[in-house]
Amino acid sequence: MSTTSTSRPGDVAAPAAAEGRTAPSIARRALDFSMDQAVWILLVLAIVIMGIFKPSFYSFGILSNILVQATVLGILAIAISMVILLGDINLATVGTAGFSALLGVMAMKAGLPVPLAIGLILVVGSLIGLLNGLIVTKLRANALIATLAMNMVLQGALLAITGGKSITSLPATYKFVSQGKIGGFPALPIVLIVVFAVFYIIWERTRFGRGLFAVGGNQRGAYIAGIDVDRVKIGAYVVSGLLSGLAGWLLSGYMGAVTSSFGTTYEMQVIAAAVIGGVSLTGGRGNMIGVLAGTLLLTVIQVGLAVLGIQSTLITLAGGLMIFVAVLIDASRNLYNSRT
Amino acid sequence: MTDALLQVRGVSKVFGATRALSDANLTIHPGEIHSLLGRNGAGKSTLVNIIAGIYPPTTGDVLFEGQDLRPLNIFARQELGIRLVPQHENSFPDLTVAENIFSGVLPTRRGLVDWKRINHDAAEELAAYGLHVDPRTPVRELSSIDARKLNIIRAMHSGAKLIILDEPTTALTNRERAELFEFVRDLKAMGTAFIFISHYLGEVLELSDAISVLRDGRMYPVDDIEAVSEAHLASLVAGEEVELSRRRPDEAPPEGADFLRAVDLHSKDLQGVSLSVRRGEILGVIGFPGSGAREFCRTLFGIERLTSGTILADGQELHLASPAEAIRHGIAYISYDRHREGIMPTFDVNENIGISSYAGKLRRAGGFIDLALRRSLADSYRDALKIRCNSVDDDITSLSGGNQQKVIVSRLLNTDPRLLILDEPTVGIDIKSREEIIATVLELTRTGMSTIYLTNDYEELLRVADRLVFFDDGRVVSVLENKGITIDQLTAIRDRAKEAA
Repeated sequence: MSTTSTSRPGDVAAPAAAEGRTAPSIARRALDFSMDQAVWILLVLAIVIMGIFKPSFYSFGILSNILVQATVLGILAIAISMVILLGDINLATVGTAGFSALLGVMAMKAGLPVPLAIGLILVVGSLIGLLNGLIVTKLRANALIATLAMNMVLQGALLAITGGKSITSLPATYKFVSQGKIGGFPALPIVLIVVFAVFYIIWERTRFGRGLFAVGGNQRGAYIAGIDVDRVKIGAYVVSGLLSGLAGWLLSGYMGAVTSSFGTTYEMQVIAAAVIGGVSLTGGRGNMIGVLAGTLLLTVIQVGLAVLGIQSTLITLAGGLMIFVAVLIDASRNLYNSRT
Repeated sequence: MTDALLQVRGVSKVFGATRALSDANLTIHPGEIHSLLGRNGAGKSTLVNIIAGIYPPTTGDVLFEGQDLRPLNIFARQELGIRLVPQHENSFPDLTVAENIFSGVLPTRRGLVDWKRINHDAAEELAAYGLHVDPRTPVRELSSIDARKLNIIRAMHSGAKLIILDEPTTALTNRERAELFEFVRDLKAMGTAFIFISHYLGEVLELSDAISVLRDGRMYPVDDIEAVSEAHLASLVAGEEVELSRRRPDEAPPEGADFLRAVDLHSKDLQGVSLSVRRGEILGVIGFPGSGAREFCRTLFGIERLTSGTILADGQELHLASPAEAIRHGIAYISYDRHREGIMPTFDVNENIGISSYAGKLRRAGGFIDLALRRSLADSYRDALKIRCNSVDDDITSLSGGNQQKVIVSRLLNTDPRLLILDEPTVGIDIKSREEIIATVLELTRTGMSTIYLTNDYEELLRVADRLVFFDDGRVVSVLENKGITIDQLTAIRDRAKEAA
C-alpha cells in the first residue's frame, strides 16, 4: 500500500520543460533604461531646449558658469545624500555651511592664518554634524525636527552675530579656489569633480559607504548582520557636516563675503538635487552619478532661467516646482520598481 | 455527491514574460478541505488570488455555485462568500476582538456605536466557534493561535462559504497547529469549504480531503490521498526525488570537547541557564515561546543583554554587546524573522552574502572592501548551496523564500563561524531548499563547527540533533541524548516540563 507504485499520481503527464522566464522585450528594456537614466535624459533635453531658445547658451562662458554654480550645490547635495541614504534627513546643511564659514572668517579677521581658518571651517562643520549625529542616535530624536531646529539655531546665530551686515574684503588666498583659474578654466569645478570621485569610491567600495546603504535599506537587518549602526549614522552626520563646511568655505570665497542670509538660495535645491538624482527618501538607494546629474540638471535649469530673462520674483515658484518634480520622479520610479 | 461549490476551469495566468499558471483545474465541494501544496513560486498564490478576484486570469474561468465570477471584483466575491485569510495577521491590532469581528459594520443605536450589543454578539459568536477570549481584549494581546482563529471567525461572520487559508500554520507550535486543525474541522462539519495552502507534507496529509500539487505553474491532482506516500508527494512537489538529510548516529561528537560554555546566565528572560555546546555538535533546543529557548540563542549572539553570568568560548570569556562582536568571536545567528532581521532588500545577492564579512575577511586597509573576493565567495556559495538566480547580481527580493534563506545561510557561513545558531531556519521555505540547507549544516559540523538548532518542526529536529535541550520558564529543565526519541516522547517531555513549572 505504501510503496510508490500503488499510488497513482504518477500517471499525471509530466509537464513539458516549464516555460521559464524569457528575456524582457526591447520596449521593456528601453523603459527600464529610461527609468534608470531619467535624469541624464532630462539634463540633455534641458540643455537642448535652452540652446534652441538662446543659442548663446552654448558659449564657454555660460557652460563653465554652470559648472561653477553646480559646485556648491553639488557638495551640499552629497552632504544631504549621506543622511538621506540612511532614511533620515539633515535639514541643517545650509545653516552649517553659513555658521562654520562665519566662524572661520571671523577667526581669520582676528588674525588666524588662512589655511588654519579654512581648517577651522571644516572642523566646525564636522562638529555640528557630530552633534546632530549624537542627538539622532544616542537620544533617538527625530532627525527631521532635530536638524530643522539645528538649522534655525545656526542661521539665527549667523544673523545675530553679523547683525544683518555682510563680512567682506576677504583675502585673495582665501578666495583662490573659489575664484581662481587654472589655464583659463575655473578651479571650482575641479573641486566638484574630485569630491564626486572621492565619494563615488566611498559609497561603492568602502565599509562605511556600504554600511550607509545597509542601514538605509533595513536598519534592524543591518544590526543583526553585524553592522555598527550607530557608528555608521554618526559618521554620516559628521561627513555631512564636513561637506557643508567645505561648501561654506567655497561659497563665501566665491561671493567674497559671508552674508546674513548665507546660502539660503540653496536650501530648496539641495534636497531636490539629491532626490532627482535618485537618492530615495526612504533610504538605501542612490548613486553618486545620479546625484551629479541631479545637481547639473537643477543648475542648468536655474542658469537657463536667468539667461532666458525670467523675473527674479519667480525664482521661489520655480524652486517649489523643482521639488515637486523631484518628488514625482522619485515616486514614479518607486512605483515602477515595485511593479509586478 | 453535492454540487460543486467552486470550479476552476482551464485557468492560465501570464505576467509579462512569465507564465505563472498553466491550465489549472480545481473543483471544491461544500465541507471539503482541499490543500494546495507546492514550493514558493509554484503558482499557489497566483491561483488563490485569481479565485479571490485580486487579479483576473489570462484564460479560463472560475465558477462559484455555478455563477461565473469573471465580472465580479474582490468585494463582490466576498459578498458571495469567498474569503482569503492571509498568512500574516492583518486584523487591526489596536482594536478589540469584538471590533475586529464586526470590522467596518459596527451596529449603532441612535447614531452611536452600540458597544453593549457588539460585545454581547461577539461573545456569542466566539463561544459558538470555540474561541474562548474576552471580546473586549485588544487583538494585540492575543496569542498567535487565537489571532489566527479570530481571522477565520471574521471570515465566518461575514458569511464565508469558502475560506482560503494561506500558510496558516507558519510559526505555530505543534499543539497550536493541532488546535487550529480541530477548529477548521469543526467549521468543515458545518459545511464550510477550505483551501489550505502549505509547504508541509505531513500536515497536508493529516488535514486534507483532497490535495493538488503545484509545480512550475502546473497542477498535479493527487487522485488517492489515502494511498499516496509522503515521499511520493515530496517528489511531486520538488520535481525529483528529495533525499532527506539526516544525522548518522555515529557522528555525534564525543563528550567533553566543549566549544562553548554558558554558566548561570541571568537576564530579563533567563533565570540561571548553564549549558555547554560540544565541538561539532548539533544541539537541538526546544521550548514554547517565552520559555527562554529563543532568548538563550539571541543572548549568545549579543542581541539581548545579560544581567549576570559567563559565556566562555574555548575557555576564553566573551563579552557580547552586539551581533558585530559575536560575529567577530565566531558566533553566527540566523533569525526566525527573515524579513526584518535577515535580508537586506536593497542589496543584490552578492552583497547580501558578503555583508557580515566586511569587518572580517573582506576587510582591506583604509576602510576598503575586497570586492573581487566578495564576488568570488558569493559565486562559490551560490554553487555550493544551489542558490537559484541568474547571477549573484540579482536583487535578493527577486528570489523565492527558500533561496533567500540560502543566501542568509551563505552570509553567516562566510563569517567562518565556530558556532552557528539556527532559529527556525526552515519556516516558510520549500522542502528542497530545506534539505539543501540542512545538508550543508551537517557537512560543516563534520569539520568541527558547532550548531544550535531551534525549531518547532520536531521531525526535522530529531533527524539532525545530537542532543536535545528543553527550556521552560527561563531555565533548562532537561538535557537528553537524541537516541531513539520519537516526536511523541519529545512533546511529552516538553509538556511535562511546562506542567511541572
